[in-house]
Amino acid sequence: MRPKNDLLHTKRGEYDYILTAVTVLLVLFGIVMVYAASSYNAAVNYNNRYFYMFKQIVGAVLGFAALFVFGLLDYRILQKWRYVILGVSVLLLVLVFVPGVGVESYGARRWINLPFFTMQASEIAKFGFIIFTASYMAKHHSKMTTFVGILPVLSVGGLICLLIILEPNMSITICVVLLMFSMLFIGGARLKHFLLLALPAAAMVPLLILAEPYRLKRMLAFIDPWASPLGEGYQLIQSFYSLGSGGLFGLGLFNSRQKYLFLPFSESDFIFSIIGEELGLVGCALVMFAYILLIARAVRIAQNSTDRLGCYLAGGIASIIAIQVLVNIAVVTGSIPPTGLPLPFISAGSSSLIVFCSSIGILQSISRHSHKTVKRLARKHADRGAKRDHGVGN
Amino acid sequence: MNSTNSTVTTRKRLLILTVSIIFLFCALLGRLAYLQLAAGKELQAKAAQQWYRDLPLKAPRGKIVDTHGQVLADNREVYGVYVRPNAVKDAPAVASVLSGHLSLDYDKLLEKIVSSRVSEITVARAVEKDVAEAIIAHDLAGVYFTLDSKRYYPASHYLAQILGFTNIDNVGQNGLEGYYDTYLKGVDGFAYTAADIKGNELADNVTEYVPAIPGCDLTVSLDLNIQSFAETAVANALEDHGAKNASMIVMDCKTGGILAMASAPGFDLNEPPRDDLHMLNALSKNKMIVDVYEPGSTFKIFTTAAAIENGAVSDADRFFCGGSRLVDGQKIKCWRSIGHGSQNLADGVKNSCNCVFMDLALRLGTDKMYDTIRNFGFGTKTDIDFYGESKGLLMAQSKVKTVDLARIGFGQAVAVTPLQLVTAVSAAINGGTLYEPYFLQKATAYGGQTIYTREPKAVRQVISSGTSERLRNMLEKVVSEGGGHKAGVAGYRIGGKTGTAQKYENGSIAQGKYVSSFVGFAPVEDPRYVLAMIVDEPSGYAYYGSLVAAPYAGEVFAKIFDYAGLPPSTSATVTEWTQMPDVVGVSTQEALEMLRQCGLTAEVAGEGESVRSCVPSPQTRVEKGDVVLLRT
Repeated sequence: MRPKNDLLHTKRGEYDYILTAVTVLLVLFGIVMVYAASSYNAAVNYNNRYFYMFKQIVGAVLGFAALFVFGLLDYRILQKWRYVILGVSVLLLVLVFVPGVGVESYGARRWINLPFFTMQASEIAKFGFIIFTASYMAKHHSKMTTFVGILPVLSVGGLICLLIILEPNMSITICVVLLMFSMLFIGGARLKHFLLLALPAAAMVPLLILAEPYRLKRMLAFIDPWASPLGEGYQLIQSFYSLGSGGLFGLGLFNSRQKYLFLPFSESDFIFSIIGEELGLVGCALVMFAYILLIARAVRIAQNSTDRLGCYLAGGIASIIAIQVLVNIAVVTGSIPPTGLPLPFISAGSSSLIVFCSSIGILQSISRHSHKTVKRLARKHADRGAKRDHGVGN
Repeated sequence: MNSTNSTVTTRKRLLILTVSIIFLFCALLGRLAYLQLAAGKELQAKAAQQWYRDLPLKAPRGKIVDTHGQVLADNREVYGVYVRPNAVKDAPAVASVLSGHLSLDYDKLLEKIVSSRVSEITVARAVEKDVAEAIIAHDLAGVYFTLDSKRYYPASHYLAQILGFTNIDNVGQNGLEGYYDTYLKGVDGFAYTAADIKGNELADNVTEYVPAIPGCDLTVSLDLNIQSFAETAVANALEDHGAKNASMIVMDCKTGGILAMASAPGFDLNEPPRDDLHMLNALSKNKMIVDVYEPGSTFKIFTTAAAIENGAVSDADRFFCGGSRLVDGQKIKCWRSIGHGSQNLADGVKNSCNCVFMDLALRLGTDKMYDTIRNFGFGTKTDIDFYGESKGLLMAQSKVKTVDLARIGFGQAVAVTPLQLVTAVSAAINGGTLYEPYFLQKATAYGGQTIYTREPKAVRQVISSGTSERLRNMLEKVVSEGGGHKAGVAGYRIGGKTGTAQKYENGSIAQGKYVSSFVGFAPVEDPRYVLAMIVDEPSGYAYYGSLVAAPYAGEVFAKIFDYAGLPPSTSATVTEWTQMPDVVGVSTQEALEMLRQCGLTAEVAGEGESVRSCVPSPQTRVEKGDVVLLRT
């Protein structure tokens, strides 16, 4: 149904309005939820209940600007600048460790102090990695089936992971590893190479746990949070309380009880719990549906892309959104060991918001440059009998 | 696009990835549905516990009052002191003030305040009002107070083993406080306040109150005045005789209600020695209900009752006592080694002659003897409203040999609780009805409605009223003419029986350790009060019940008559006086004759041929009919 109607339709520059609409809705919803989750906390700690909301609005404005600007740009520029982008990403990750520039908080150095806000370096690095990998795979796609061919991707990924794990930031590291696998998978790497990689990756887990014993405690807390309700299990239990209190339709917007300092990080990593508490299972399902829609649009753009670069870029962006949403929801529902990861577009945090909006801009750029080629391609397929269904229904 | 195959691979893989992602989303949605729908109610209930700060509204504990409404146990206002670490502004100051006023360790308290993860620390409870007010005056941020109540016993040392005490949470631990805790405790209420994690009340909070329901007030059968007589008696007995323990029970024989129950040594119920658990357990044990002892001669009352009731003896019967009886080839001695000669039953009771009661028991046989003493309640619990009651010790009926039966006849080879003894004596002299003894008379709910009233509970008719009357008259002679003389009160008719039993330790007789007792009743014409006085291990030679226990019983009877306004039953007799003859050095036989001529009765300590010393000393003025002690 999809290929014929859309692709054969002659129309200039296909801008994906659904994608932008869903993005804007998510960001605006995020601003409301950040306020709902943080108003009490902000009033107590900053004497201003709009503190986090204002920051989020600033992030949203910058994010929308980035979305617009990246949408206008030709994404192919990114390929030319890939080494610069990668270099900047790595540099930022190193700068985190420079005293005075890097900010230490909660025992980790993750932020870079900028005059007007603090920036999380790893947020940039994730996208630096996507751009570099997409560019590399597009250029050397024929080598992707060999182990040597995927080595540069592994090396760059490994370096970025190493720097992030030194901060330390386990959750982003895992995200980057998953992102790397996902992109290699899209890029056509062989399954046996995945197995080869999966083994050392799995072997890293006990090593990382040994390096920071608190991780083991967290693992155990995930298995039985009630064993230490005031210790390691505290946050997970509080998240359960939020979700459980929500029921099917929730307590109503702004009616969360867990926001009264019971649930730590309620405006950032655990904002999904507050959504569950105030809007119930129905609200959660709608938010999850919005993300699926977003991911599906990104995948569609990847498939319709005129070149490998666009395809891989869009695939990478779809992957990182999917990974972060899935990991975040899995954490707040106690489905995987707890790890701090923001929910894209919704969680408080300007760096994450701006960077994710930029990636939607990149998707739009890819989308706008795809339509003519795709139309031709579709026609060719139609000529050959259009027996294969390549699309993804949405 | 360089290769169609490659594109197909990419498309396929994108499809696989998308399907996987959607699958994972669905799985997480399932997990969410479980948490929010299936487990939601339970999780929300748990969460509510942290959302609301529930201040308990303690239910005031019911009072315990005596039969005339005099307060025995009441409540006093005290304070609980709490610290909420989050709200503390100056931790060292808080720690310093609190440790100073509450005599706590400064460093430990500061450590607790600074590093505690809990939202609230209980610093001290049951803090006296003046101390709490001194702390309140410092106006410290983060320190909170709750009004609490502490049990207060106006008569402090009285009834220590009977009332019992409560723990810091006002839960009855033992005694009546423990037994009737359900009545006394009431139902706690709560004030629910929606609060944040630090305990700060939320802006739109509406505090909900669930008021407390105070506990019931209990009226007990005890009479604080009679109790004070008994307390004085046991305290004096303990001191006068250097005894291990002295106890007294006064019972209303017409109902079974306990009028007084005292035991020394005791302790102050307001300050139980909680630090020394061993001592606390020993002091708070109600030996009169929980412990058994060998009753000795007081038990002869029941042998007599059994014999009369079963027609095993007539007024004309004569008994001869030569100082011992040969039972199944075994020689059992009478307490008086020279014997009592020929006596009728009344004389036998008056003289407390062991031979008479051996004869009676043997005449009755084991079955009849056992039926009667069982009917008197021995060998079973009296079912008094008190924890830990003992049922006493009776030999298995089938194992009783003739020798044992003879001994039981005069109160050996059995063990009873003082309460059993009083209860049984009440039945023996009140016309023959055994009543279940009790403390609780009435329970009154908060608001005034009576929810429980005790009616005297007759267990059974043990002996006929005729038998009971004959017993009363015989026992009156024990006090008016025999060993119970010191229990007498001029002008009043009192009946009773003394007892002196040797103590057993590890199965053999403990030398020099005795239990001296007296059990009596008054007035004989219409008995109301039954009293038992038991002195455990009096030191010195004066260990006879007649000398050690009977005098205190007499004092208490006199006070009770005065307090109750009981008119004398006979015209007040003129007290006759005589001088203690000089019997030292005289042969025992002659000395007893000399004393008889002076109108005195003697207890003889030792088995010697001549008198070595006597109490009181010669030439002392003594009341005619009094009991004196000879050491031979």
